[in-house]
Amino acid sequence: MTKIIRTCLLAAAILAISSPELSAQGTDLASQTLGRAYWHVFAAYAIGWILVLGWVISIARRLVSVEQAMKGN
Amino acid sequence: MSQDRLRQTGVALAVLGTLGALLVLWMVFFWVPTERTMGIAQRIFYVHVPSAWIAFFAFGIVALCSAVYLWLKDERLDMAALAAAEGGMVFCTIMILTGPLWARVSWGTWWTWEPRLVLTLLLWFIYFSYFLVRNATENPEQGKRFAAVVGIIGVLDIPLIHISVTWMRSLHPEPVVLKPEGPSLDPEMLITLMVGLATATMLFLGLFLMRYTVECLKREVDQRQTGAQAAQGA
Amino acid sequence: MDYFRVIWTVARKDLLIEMRTRERVAAMGSFVVLVGVLFNYSIDTAIVRPQEIAPGIIWMTIIFGGLLGMGRTFHLEEEDGAFSGVLQTPIPLDALYLGKTAANLVILSLVTVLIFIVFSVFFGLSFGSHPFVLLTVVFLALIGFVGLSTLFSAMSVRTTMGESLLPVLVFPLLIPMVIFGVSATSRLFAGRPVSEVTGSVRMLGAFAILSVAAGALLFRYVVEE
Repeated sequence: MTKIIRTCLLAAAILAISSPELSAQGTDLASQTLGRAYWHVFAAYAIGWILVLGWVISIARRLVSVEQAMKGN
Repeated sequence: MSQDRLRQTGVALAVLGTLGALLVLWMVFFWVPTERTMGIAQRIFYVHVPSAWIAFFAFGIVALCSAVYLWLKDERLDMAALAAAEGGMVFCTIMILTGPLWARVSWGTWWTWEPRLVLTLLLWFIYFSYFLVRNATENPEQGKRFAAVVGIIGVLDIPLIHISVTWMRSLHPEPVVLKPEGPSLDPEMLITLMVGLATATMLFLGLFLMRYTVECLKREVDQRQTGAQAAQGA
Repeated sequence: MDYFRVIWTVARKDLLIEMRTRERVAAMGSFVVLVGVLFNYSIDTAIVRPQEIAPGIIWMTIIFGGLLGMGRTFHLEEEDGAFSGVLQTPIPLDALYLGKTAANLVILSLVTVLIFIVFSVFFGLSFGSHPFVLLTVVFLALIGFVGLSTLFSAMSVRTTMGESLLPVLVFPLLIPMVIFGVSATSRLFAGRPVSEVTGSVRMLGAFAILSVAAGALLFRYVVEE
Protein backbone atom coordinates (compact mmCIF):
# COMPACT_ATOMS: atom_id res chain seq x y z
CA MET A 1 0.00 0.00 0.00
CA THR A 2 2.76 2.44 0.88
CA LYS A 3 4.32 1.56 -2.46
CA ILE A 4 1.19 2.61 -4.27
CA ILE A 5 1.04 5.85 -2.38
CA ARG A 6 4.70 6.44 -3.12
CA THR A 7 4.14 5.82 -6.81
CA CYS A 8 1.24 8.24 -6.89
CA LEU A 9 3.23 10.92 -5.09
CA LEU A 10 6.15 10.38 -7.46
CA ALA A 11 3.89 10.79 -10.47
CA ALA A 12 2.48 13.98 -8.99
CA ALA A 13 5.99 15.29 -8.39
CA ILE A 14 7.07 14.52 -11.95
CA LEU A 15 4.00 16.28 -13.27
CA ALA A 16 4.66 19.31 -11.11
CA ILE A 17 8.30 19.51 -12.22
CA SER A 18 7.63 19.01 -15.90
CA SER A 19 4.68 21.36 -16.24
CA PRO A 20 6.44 24.76 -16.45
CA GLU A 21 8.65 23.39 -19.20
CA LEU A 22 5.63 22.30 -21.18
CA SER A 23 3.83 25.61 -20.83
CA ALA A 24 6.94 27.52 -21.91
CA GLN A 25 7.25 25.73 -25.23
CA GLY A 26 6.83 27.69 -28.46
CA THR A 27 6.20 31.38 -28.94
CA ASP A 28 3.66 31.42 -31.75
CA LEU A 29 0.22 31.29 -30.15
CA ALA A 30 -1.36 28.84 -32.59
CA SER A 31 1.50 26.37 -32.60
CA GLN A 32 1.79 26.77 -28.85
CA THR A 33 -1.77 25.73 -28.11
CA LEU A 34 -1.62 22.90 -30.63
CA GLY A 35 1.76 21.62 -29.40
CA ARG A 36 0.84 21.97 -25.81
CA ALA A 37 -2.47 20.22 -26.29
CA TYR A 38 -0.69 17.23 -27.83
CA TRP A 39 1.81 17.22 -25.03
CA HIS A 40 -0.97 17.15 -22.52
CA VAL A 41 -2.75 14.27 -24.25
CA PHE A 42 0.49 12.27 -24.34
CA ALA A 43 1.17 13.05 -20.71
CA ALA A 44 -2.37 12.03 -19.71
CA TYR A 45 -2.15 8.62 -21.36
CA ALA A 46 1.39 8.12 -20.09
CA ILE A 47 0.19 8.80 -16.56
CA GLY A 48 -2.59 6.27 -16.99
CA TRP A 49 -0.26 3.56 -18.27
CA ILE A 50 2.47 4.26 -15.73
CA LEU A 51 0.17 4.18 -12.74
CA VAL A 52 -1.58 0.99 -13.80
CA LEU A 53 1.81 -0.54 -14.52
CA GLY A 54 2.94 0.53 -11.07
CA TRP A 55 0.01 -1.31 -9.55
CA VAL A 56 0.82 -4.43 -11.60
CA ILE A 57 4.44 -4.30 -10.46
CA SER A 58 3.42 -3.90 -6.82
CA ILE A 59 1.12 -6.92 -7.12
CA ALA A 60 3.87 -8.95 -8.78
CA ARG A 61 6.38 -8.04 -6.07
CA ARG A 62 3.97 -9.06 -3.36
CA LEU A 63 3.37 -12.35 -5.15
CA VAL A 64 7.12 -12.99 -5.36
CA SER A 65 7.66 -12.27 -1.68
CA VAL A 66 4.73 -14.51 -0.72
CA GLU A 67 6.08 -17.33 -2.89
CA GLN A 68 9.50 -16.97 -1.29
CA ALA A 69 7.94 -17.14 2.16
CA MET A 70 6.07 -20.29 1.10
CA LYS A 71 9.29 -21.94 -0.11
CA GLY A 72 11.03 -20.96 3.08
CA ASN A 73 8.49 -22.88 5.13
CA MET B 1 -14.86 -20.30 -7.16
CA SER B 2 -11.53 -21.64 -6.06
CA GLN B 3 -8.54 -19.34 -5.73
CA ASP B 4 -6.89 -20.75 -8.83
CA ARG B 5 -9.98 -20.06 -10.90
CA LEU B 6 -10.14 -16.54 -9.49
CA ARG B 7 -6.53 -15.89 -10.38
CA GLN B 8 -7.00 -17.29 -13.88
CA THR B 9 -10.06 -15.09 -14.39
CA GLY B 10 -8.09 -12.13 -13.09
CA VAL B 11 -5.18 -12.73 -15.45
CA ALA B 12 -7.52 -13.22 -18.39
CA LEU B 13 -9.40 -9.99 -17.63
CA ALA B 14 -6.15 -8.10 -17.16
CA VAL B 15 -4.82 -9.34 -20.51
CA LEU B 16 -8.08 -8.37 -22.21
CA GLY B 17 -7.89 -5.00 -20.48
CA THR B 18 -4.35 -4.44 -21.70
CA LEU B 19 -5.38 -5.26 -25.28
CA GLY B 20 -8.33 -2.90 -24.83
CA ALA B 21 -6.01 -0.18 -23.57
CA LEU B 22 -3.87 -0.54 -26.70
CA LEU B 23 -7.03 -0.31 -28.79
CA VAL B 24 -8.04 2.84 -26.91
CA LEU B 25 -4.63 4.37 -27.61
CA TRP B 26 -5.02 3.67 -31.31
CA MET B 27 -8.59 5.02 -31.36
CA VAL B 28 -7.65 8.16 -29.44
CA PHE B 29 -4.64 9.07 -31.53
CA PHE B 30 -5.68 7.91 -35.00
CA TRP B 31 -9.39 7.33 -35.25
CA VAL B 32 -11.63 9.57 -33.16
CA PRO B 33 -12.45 13.01 -34.64
CA THR B 34 -11.22 16.16 -32.91
CA GLU B 35 -13.79 18.00 -30.86
CA ARG B 36 -14.68 21.39 -32.34
CA THR B 37 -14.55 23.74 -29.35
CA MET B 38 -12.20 21.99 -26.94
CA GLY B 39 -9.75 20.77 -29.58
CA ILE B 40 -7.15 18.08 -29.19
CA ALA B 41 -7.06 18.22 -25.41
CA GLN B 42 -10.57 16.77 -25.38
CA ARG B 43 -8.93 13.43 -26.21
CA ILE B 44 -7.93 13.25 -22.55
CA PHE B 45 -11.63 12.62 -21.96
CA TYR B 46 -11.21 8.93 -22.91
CA VAL B 47 -8.83 8.24 -20.04
CA HIS B 48 -10.25 10.77 -17.60
CA VAL B 49 -13.88 9.65 -17.58
CA PRO B 50 -13.19 5.87 -17.38
CA SER B 51 -10.82 6.40 -14.44
CA ALA B 52 -13.44 8.55 -12.74
CA TRP B 53 -15.95 5.76 -13.16
CA ILE B 54 -13.55 3.21 -11.68
CA ALA B 55 -12.58 5.48 -8.79
CA PHE B 56 -16.20 5.74 -7.66
CA PHE B 57 -17.13 2.17 -8.55
CA ALA B 58 -14.19 0.88 -6.51
CA PHE B 59 -15.17 3.01 -3.57
CA GLY B 60 -18.64 1.47 -3.76
CA ILE B 61 -17.03 -1.97 -3.47
CA VAL B 62 -14.86 -0.77 -0.58
CA ALA B 63 -17.85 0.58 1.34
CA LEU B 64 -20.06 -2.43 0.67
CA CYS B 65 -17.39 -4.95 1.63
CA SER B 66 -16.45 -2.89 4.69
CA ALA B 67 -20.03 -2.77 5.93
CA VAL B 68 -20.55 -6.50 5.50
CA TYR B 69 -17.11 -7.17 6.99
CA LEU B 70 -18.02 -5.38 10.20
CA TRP B 71 -21.21 -7.39 10.29
CA LEU B 72 -19.99 -10.89 9.40
CA LYS B 73 -16.29 -10.55 10.30
CA ASP B 74 -15.36 -12.56 7.22
CA GLU B 75 -11.69 -12.11 6.38
CA ARG B 76 -12.37 -12.39 2.64
CA LEU B 77 -14.47 -9.24 2.66
CA ASP B 78 -11.66 -7.24 4.20
CA MET B 79 -9.26 -8.54 1.57
CA ALA B 80 -11.70 -7.59 -1.20
CA ALA B 81 -12.13 -4.10 0.27
CA LEU B 82 -8.36 -3.69 0.48
CA ALA B 83 -7.84 -4.82 -3.11
CA ALA B 84 -10.61 -2.54 -4.37
CA ALA B 85 -9.25 0.41 -2.39
CA GLU B 86 -5.81 -0.02 -3.94
CA GLY B 87 -7.24 -0.07 -7.43
CA GLY B 88 -9.58 2.78 -6.65
CA MET B 89 -6.70 4.88 -5.43
CA VAL B 90 -4.69 4.16 -8.59
CA PHE B 91 -7.56 5.20 -10.85
CA CYS B 92 -8.47 8.16 -8.64
CA THR B 93 -4.88 9.37 -8.99
CA ILE B 94 -5.08 8.97 -12.77
CA MET B 95 -8.28 11.01 -12.80
CA ILE B 96 -6.84 13.75 -10.59
CA LEU B 97 -3.65 14.04 -12.63
CA THR B 98 -5.28 13.95 -16.06
CA GLY B 99 -8.00 16.45 -15.12
CA PRO B 100 -5.64 19.43 -14.66
CA LEU B 101 -3.82 18.52 -17.90
CA TRP B 102 -7.09 18.91 -19.76
CA ALA B 103 -8.20 21.92 -17.75
CA ARG B 104 -4.94 23.76 -18.45
CA VAL B 105 -5.63 23.65 -22.18
CA SER B 106 -9.42 24.07 -22.20
CA TRP B 107 -9.93 26.47 -19.32
CA GLY B 108 -6.43 27.96 -19.14
CA THR B 109 -5.92 27.00 -15.52
CA TRP B 110 -4.56 23.93 -13.77
CA TRP B 111 -7.05 24.00 -10.99
CA THR B 112 -10.43 25.56 -10.37
CA TRP B 113 -12.78 25.11 -7.46
CA GLU B 114 -15.11 23.16 -9.63
CA PRO B 115 -17.38 20.76 -7.71
CA ARG B 116 -16.42 17.50 -9.33
CA LEU B 117 -12.74 18.37 -9.09
CA VAL B 118 -13.05 19.07 -5.39
CA LEU B 119 -15.11 15.95 -4.84
CA THR B 120 -12.50 13.73 -6.46
CA LEU B 121 -9.69 15.35 -4.52
CA LEU B 122 -11.58 14.65 -1.31
CA LEU B 123 -12.29 11.10 -2.48
CA TRP B 124 -8.53 10.69 -2.93
CA PHE B 125 -7.96 11.84 0.62
CA ILE B 126 -10.61 9.47 1.95
CA TYR B 127 -8.81 6.62 0.16
CA PHE B 128 -5.57 7.93 1.60
CA SER B 129 -6.88 7.88 5.17
CA TYR B 130 -8.26 4.40 4.53
CA PHE B 131 -4.69 3.16 4.06
CA LEU B 132 -3.31 5.41 6.75
CA VAL B 133 -5.48 4.00 9.56
CA ARG B 134 -4.99 0.47 8.32
CA ASN B 135 -1.23 0.71 8.73
CA ALA B 136 -1.13 2.87 11.85
CA THR B 137 -2.29 0.30 14.39
CA GLU B 138 -0.28 -2.21 16.36
CA ASN B 139 -3.04 -4.78 16.18
CA PRO B 140 -3.83 -5.57 12.51
CA GLU B 141 -7.38 -6.66 13.34
CA GLN B 142 -8.04 -3.20 14.73
CA GLY B 143 -6.56 -1.64 11.61
CA LYS B 144 -8.99 -3.59 9.45
CA ARG B 145 -11.94 -2.40 11.51
CA PHE B 146 -10.74 1.20 11.49
CA ALA B 147 -10.32 1.11 7.73
CA ALA B 148 -13.81 -0.34 7.35
CA VAL B 149 -15.25 2.47 9.47
CA VAL B 150 -13.47 5.06 7.31
CA GLY B 151 -14.87 3.40 4.20
CA ILE B 152 -18.43 3.47 5.51
CA ILE B 153 -18.29 7.05 6.79
CA GLY B 154 -16.73 8.06 3.48
CA VAL B 155 -19.55 6.61 1.42
CA LEU B 156 -22.15 8.23 3.70
CA ASP B 157 -20.48 11.62 3.51
CA ILE B 158 -19.68 11.64 -0.21
CA PRO B 159 -23.28 12.44 -1.31
CA LEU B 160 -23.34 15.30 1.17
CA ILE B 161 -19.98 16.58 -0.04
CA HIS B 162 -21.29 16.31 -3.58
CA ILE B 163 -24.39 18.36 -2.77
CA SER B 164 -22.39 20.99 -0.95
CA VAL B 165 -19.72 21.46 -3.59
CA THR B 166 -22.18 21.53 -6.50
CA TRP B 167 -24.01 24.23 -4.67
CA MET B 168 -21.70 26.70 -6.33
CA ARG B 169 -21.69 27.44 -10.02
CA SER B 170 -20.23 24.70 -12.15
CA LEU B 171 -17.63 25.17 -14.88
CA HIS B 172 -17.22 21.49 -15.70
CA PRO B 173 -18.63 20.23 -19.01
CA GLU B 174 -22.25 19.31 -18.55
CA PRO B 175 -23.09 15.61 -18.69
CA VAL B 176 -22.86 14.56 -22.33
CA VAL B 177 -23.67 10.87 -22.16
CA LEU B 178 -26.18 10.23 -19.39
CA LYS B 179 -28.96 12.68 -20.03
CA PRO B 180 -32.64 12.31 -20.86
CA GLU B 181 -32.42 13.32 -24.55
CA GLY B 182 -29.81 10.68 -25.22
CA PRO B 183 -26.09 11.15 -25.69
CA SER B 184 -25.01 14.29 -27.54
CA LEU B 185 -21.60 12.92 -28.38
CA ASP B 186 -20.54 12.13 -31.89
CA PRO B 187 -21.07 8.35 -32.47
CA GLU B 188 -17.35 7.77 -32.97
CA MET B 189 -16.56 9.60 -29.74
CA LEU B 190 -19.22 7.61 -27.95
CA ILE B 191 -17.77 4.33 -29.21
CA THR B 192 -14.28 5.38 -28.07
CA LEU B 193 -15.64 6.32 -24.67
CA MET B 194 -17.47 3.00 -24.35
CA VAL B 195 -14.35 1.07 -25.29
CA GLY B 196 -12.45 3.14 -22.74
CA LEU B 197 -15.00 2.39 -20.03
CA ALA B 198 -15.05 -1.33 -20.83
CA THR B 199 -11.24 -1.41 -20.86
CA ALA B 200 -10.88 0.35 -17.55
CA THR B 201 -13.48 -1.94 -15.98
CA MET B 202 -11.76 -5.08 -17.25
CA LEU B 203 -8.34 -3.87 -16.20
CA PHE B 204 -9.62 -2.94 -12.77
CA LEU B 205 -11.52 -6.18 -12.21
CA GLY B 206 -8.64 -8.29 -13.49
CA LEU B 207 -6.02 -6.63 -11.34
CA PHE B 208 -8.47 -6.54 -8.43
CA LEU B 209 -8.87 -10.32 -8.59
CA MET B 210 -5.11 -10.81 -8.86
CA ARG B 211 -4.47 -8.52 -5.90
CA TYR B 212 -7.17 -10.32 -3.95
CA THR B 213 -5.68 -13.77 -4.51
CA VAL B 214 -2.20 -12.51 -3.62
CA GLU B 215 -3.60 -11.12 -0.39
CA CYS B 216 -5.27 -14.50 0.30
CA LEU B 217 -1.92 -16.26 -0.13
CA LYS B 218 -0.12 -13.69 1.99
CA ARG B 219 -2.52 -14.11 4.91
CA GLU B 220 -2.32 -17.87 4.63
CA VAL B 221 1.46 -17.67 4.88
CA ASP B 222 1.29 -15.22 7.76
CA GLN B 223 -1.08 -17.49 9.61
CA ARG B 224 1.12 -20.50 9.06
CA GLN B 225 4.13 -18.57 10.31
CA THR B 226 2.40 -17.38 13.46
CA GLY B 227 1.09 -20.92 13.95
CA ALA B 228 4.62 -22.32 13.64
CA GLN B 229 5.93 -19.71 16.05
CA ALA B 230 3.21 -20.55 18.55
CA ALA B 231 4.05 -24.25 18.22
CA GLN B 232 7.72 -23.53 18.80
CA GLY B 233 6.97 -21.37 21.80
CA ALA B 234 4.79 -24.08 23.35
CA MET C 1 -34.74 5.16 30.62
CA ASP C 2 -31.59 3.35 31.60
CA TYR C 3 -30.10 4.28 28.26
CA PHE C 4 -30.42 8.01 28.91
CA ARG C 5 -29.03 7.57 32.40
CA VAL C 6 -25.90 6.04 30.88
CA ILE C 7 -25.53 8.98 28.49
CA TRP C 8 -26.01 11.41 31.35
CA THR C 9 -23.54 9.61 33.61
CA VAL C 10 -20.83 9.53 30.97
CA ALA C 11 -21.35 13.15 29.99
CA ARG C 12 -21.44 14.25 33.61
CA LYS C 13 -18.23 12.41 34.41
CA ASP C 14 -16.42 14.02 31.49
CA LEU C 15 -17.70 17.49 32.33
CA LEU C 16 -16.77 17.04 35.98
CA ILE C 17 -13.23 16.06 35.04
CA GLU C 18 -13.07 19.04 32.71
CA MET C 19 -14.37 21.37 35.43
CA ARG C 20 -11.73 20.17 37.86
CA THR C 21 -8.74 20.06 35.52
CA ARG C 22 -9.80 22.68 32.93
CA GLU C 23 -7.20 21.12 30.65
CA ARG C 24 -9.00 21.15 27.34
CA VAL C 25 -10.91 24.38 27.87
CA ALA C 26 -7.69 26.15 28.83
CA ALA C 27 -5.87 24.86 25.75
CA MET C 28 -8.70 25.67 23.36
CA GLY C 29 -9.52 28.99 25.02
CA SER C 30 -5.98 30.33 24.82
CA PHE C 31 -5.76 28.99 21.28
CA VAL C 32 -8.75 31.01 20.09
CA VAL C 33 -7.68 34.24 21.81
CA LEU C 34 -4.20 33.94 20.32
CA VAL C 35 -5.65 33.16 16.89
CA GLY C 36 -7.59 36.42 17.21
CA VAL C 37 -4.35 38.28 17.90
CA LEU C 38 -2.49 36.57 15.04
CA PHE C 39 -5.43 37.18 12.74
CA ASN C 40 -5.21 40.89 13.46
CA TYR C 41 -1.64 40.99 12.16
CA SER C 42 -2.25 38.61 9.28
CA ILE C 43 -4.57 41.03 7.48
CA ASP C 44 -4.10 44.60 6.46
CA THR C 45 -7.23 46.25 7.84
CA ALA C 46 -6.67 49.22 5.54
CA ILE C 47 -7.31 46.96 2.54
CA VAL C 48 -9.54 44.16 3.83
CA ARG C 49 -12.43 44.76 6.14
CA PRO C 50 -12.47 42.15 8.94
CA GLN C 51 -16.26 42.01 8.76
CA GLU C 52 -16.04 40.53 5.26
CA ILE C 53 -13.68 37.67 6.00
CA ALA C 54 -14.71 37.11 9.61
CA PRO C 55 -17.14 34.20 8.91
CA GLY C 56 -14.42 32.14 7.26
CA ILE C 57 -11.89 32.88 9.98
CA ILE C 58 -14.40 32.12 12.72
CA TRP C 59 -15.20 28.73 11.20
CA MET C 60 -11.57 27.84 10.71
CA THR C 61 -10.88 28.79 14.32
CA ILE C 62 -13.76 26.60 15.49
CA ILE C 63 -12.43 23.65 13.49
CA PHE C 64 -8.75 23.95 14.39
CA GLY C 65 -9.36 24.91 18.01
CA GLY C 66 -12.09 22.31 18.33
CA LEU C 67 -9.97 19.51 16.95
CA LEU C 68 -7.27 20.46 19.44
CA GLY C 69 -9.58 19.58 22.31
CA MET C 70 -11.59 16.81 20.66
CA GLY C 71 -8.41 14.85 19.98
CA ARG C 72 -8.00 14.39 23.71
CA THR C 73 -11.48 12.98 24.29
CA PHE C 74 -10.24 9.48 25.03
CA HIS C 75 -6.80 10.34 26.26
CA LEU C 76 -7.49 9.75 29.93
CA GLU C 77 -9.14 6.39 29.31
CA GLU C 78 -6.38 5.21 27.03
CA GLU C 79 -3.52 6.30 29.27
CA ASP C 80 -4.54 4.37 32.34
CA GLY C 81 -5.96 1.47 30.43
CA ALA C 82 -9.22 2.51 32.02
CA PHE C 83 -11.08 1.92 28.80
CA SER C 84 -10.94 -1.86 29.07
CA GLY C 85 -12.73 -1.41 32.39
CA VAL C 86 -15.39 0.74 30.78
CA LEU C 87 -15.80 -1.82 28.01
CA GLN C 88 -16.40 -4.59 30.55
CA THR C 89 -19.33 -2.78 32.13
CA PRO C 90 -22.61 -3.88 30.56
CA ILE C 91 -23.51 -0.49 29.07
CA PRO C 92 -24.47 -0.07 25.43
CA LEU C 93 -21.48 1.33 23.56
CA ASP C 94 -23.56 3.75 21.50
CA ALA C 95 -24.77 5.32 24.75
CA LEU C 96 -21.15 5.72 25.77
CA TYR C 97 -20.47 7.44 22.45
CA LEU C 98 -23.48 9.72 22.81
CA GLY C 99 -22.42 10.67 26.33
CA LYS C 100 -18.91 11.50 25.17
CA THR C 101 -20.32 13.47 22.25
CA ALA C 102 -22.67 15.41 24.52
CA ALA C 103 -19.83 16.37 26.86
CA ASN C 104 -17.68 17.42 23.91
CA LEU C 105 -20.58 19.45 22.54
CA VAL C 106 -20.92 21.37 25.79
CA ILE C 107 -17.19 22.08 25.94
CA LEU C 108 -16.98 23.12 22.31
CA SER C 109 -20.07 25.33 22.66
CA LEU C 110 -18.34 27.22 25.46
CA VAL C 111 -15.26 27.66 23.32
CA THR C 112 -17.39 28.83 20.39
CA VAL C 113 -19.08 31.43 22.55
CA LEU C 114 -15.61 32.60 23.53
CA ILE C 115 -14.61 32.77 19.85
CA PHE C 116 -17.59 34.97 19.03
CA ILE C 117 -16.91 37.24 22.01
CA VAL C 118 -13.19 37.54 21.21
CA PHE C 119 -13.76 38.30 17.56
CA SER C 120 -16.49 40.82 18.20
CA VAL C 121 -14.36 42.63 20.79
CA PHE C 122 -11.17 42.56 18.71
CA PHE C 123 -12.68 43.49 15.39
CA GLY C 124 -15.96 45.18 16.24
CA LEU C 125 -17.97 42.73 14.14
CA SER C 126 -21.70 42.92 13.80
CA PHE C 127 -23.43 39.55 13.88
CA GLY C 128 -26.57 40.60 12.03
CA SER C 129 -30.05 40.94 13.37
CA HIS C 130 -31.07 37.28 13.70
CA PRO C 131 -29.27 35.93 16.77
CA PHE C 132 -31.47 32.84 17.04
CA VAL C 133 -30.97 31.80 13.46
CA LEU C 134 -27.22 32.29 13.90
CA LEU C 135 -27.38 30.22 17.06
CA THR C 136 -29.20 27.42 15.21
CA VAL C 137 -26.66 27.45 12.38
CA VAL C 138 -23.68 27.29 14.70
CA PHE C 139 -25.22 24.72 17.00
CA LEU C 140 -26.19 22.32 14.19
CA ALA C 141 -22.74 22.59 12.68
CA LEU C 142 -21.15 21.93 16.06
CA ILE C 143 -23.25 18.79 16.53
CA GLY C 144 -22.03 17.42 13.21
CA PHE C 145 -18.44 18.37 13.92
CA VAL C 146 -18.43 16.89 17.41
CA GLY C 147 -20.15 13.72 16.19
CA LEU C 148 -17.44 13.02 13.63
CA SER C 149 -14.47 14.12 15.68
CA THR C 150 -15.50 12.11 18.76
CA LEU C 151 -15.69 8.96 16.67
CA PHE C 152 -12.37 9.59 14.97
CA SER C 153 -10.61 10.63 18.16
CA ALA C 154 -11.52 7.23 19.59
CA MET C 155 -9.81 5.83 16.51
CA SER C 156 -6.75 8.05 16.39
CA VAL C 157 -5.92 7.61 20.07
CA ARG C 158 -5.45 3.90 19.42
CA THR C 159 -3.18 4.32 16.43
CA THR C 160 0.55 4.82 16.45
CA MET C 161 0.12 8.19 14.77
CA GLY C 162 -2.08 9.57 17.53
CA GLU C 163 -3.73 12.94 17.18
CA SER C 164 -1.78 13.90 14.09
CA LEU C 165 -4.02 11.49 12.21
CA LEU C 166 -7.17 13.37 13.17
CA PRO C 167 -7.07 16.23 10.62
CA VAL C 168 -6.47 13.84 7.71
CA LEU C 169 -9.45 11.76 8.78
CA VAL C 170 -11.85 14.55 9.66
CA PHE C 171 -11.14 17.47 7.31
CA PRO C 172 -12.35 15.87 4.07
CA LEU C 173 -15.61 14.96 5.78
CA LEU C 174 -16.14 18.47 7.15
CA ILE C 175 -16.61 20.13 3.75
CA PRO C 176 -20.44 20.26 4.03
CA MET C 177 -20.18 21.93 7.43
CA VAL C 178 -17.67 24.52 6.22
CA ILE C 179 -19.52 25.37 3.02
CA PHE C 180 -23.00 25.69 4.50
CA GLY C 181 -21.81 27.13 7.80
CA VAL C 182 -19.72 29.85 6.20
CA SER C 183 -22.35 30.68 3.62
CA ALA C 184 -25.11 30.98 6.23
CA THR C 185 -23.05 33.03 8.68
CA SER C 186 -21.74 35.40 6.02
CA ARG C 187 -25.28 36.04 4.85
CA LEU C 188 -26.48 36.61 8.40
CA PHE C 189 -23.51 38.88 9.17
CA ALA C 190 -24.31 40.87 6.06
CA GLY C 191 -27.88 41.36 7.25
CA ARG C 192 -29.54 39.30 4.49
CA PRO C 193 -33.06 37.95 5.11
CA VAL C 194 -33.49 34.62 6.91
CA SER C 195 -35.08 33.01 3.84
CA GLU C 196 -31.64 32.97 2.21
CA VAL C 197 -30.19 30.66 4.83
CA THR C 198 -32.98 28.12 5.39
CA GLY C 199 -31.45 25.78 2.80
CA SER C 200 -28.11 25.87 4.58
CA VAL C 201 -29.76 25.24 7.94
CA ARG C 202 -31.49 22.19 6.51
CA MET C 203 -28.25 20.82 5.08
CA LEU C 204 -26.44 21.43 8.36
CA GLY C 205 -29.22 19.53 10.11
CA ALA C 206 -28.78 16.61 7.72
CA PHE C 207 -25.03 16.71 8.33
CA ALA C 208 -25.55 16.72 12.11
CA ILE C 209 -27.98 13.80 12.05
CA LEU C 210 -25.82 11.81 9.66
CA SER C 211 -22.60 12.20 11.61
CA VAL C 212 -24.10 11.46 15.01
CA ALA C 213 -26.06 8.46 13.70
CA ALA C 214 -23.04 7.07 11.86
CA GLY C 215 -20.90 7.64 14.93
CA ALA C 216 -23.33 5.87 17.25
CA LEU C 217 -23.59 2.99 14.81
CA LEU C 218 -19.89 2.53 14.14
CA PHE C 219 -18.41 3.44 17.53
CA ARG C 220 -18.54 -0.14 18.81
CA TYR C 221 -16.32 -1.35 15.96
CA VAL C 222 -13.74 1.29 16.80
CA VAL C 223 -13.45 0.52 20.50
CA GLU C 224 -13.96 -3.24 20.65
CA GLU C 225 -10.80 -5.14 21.55
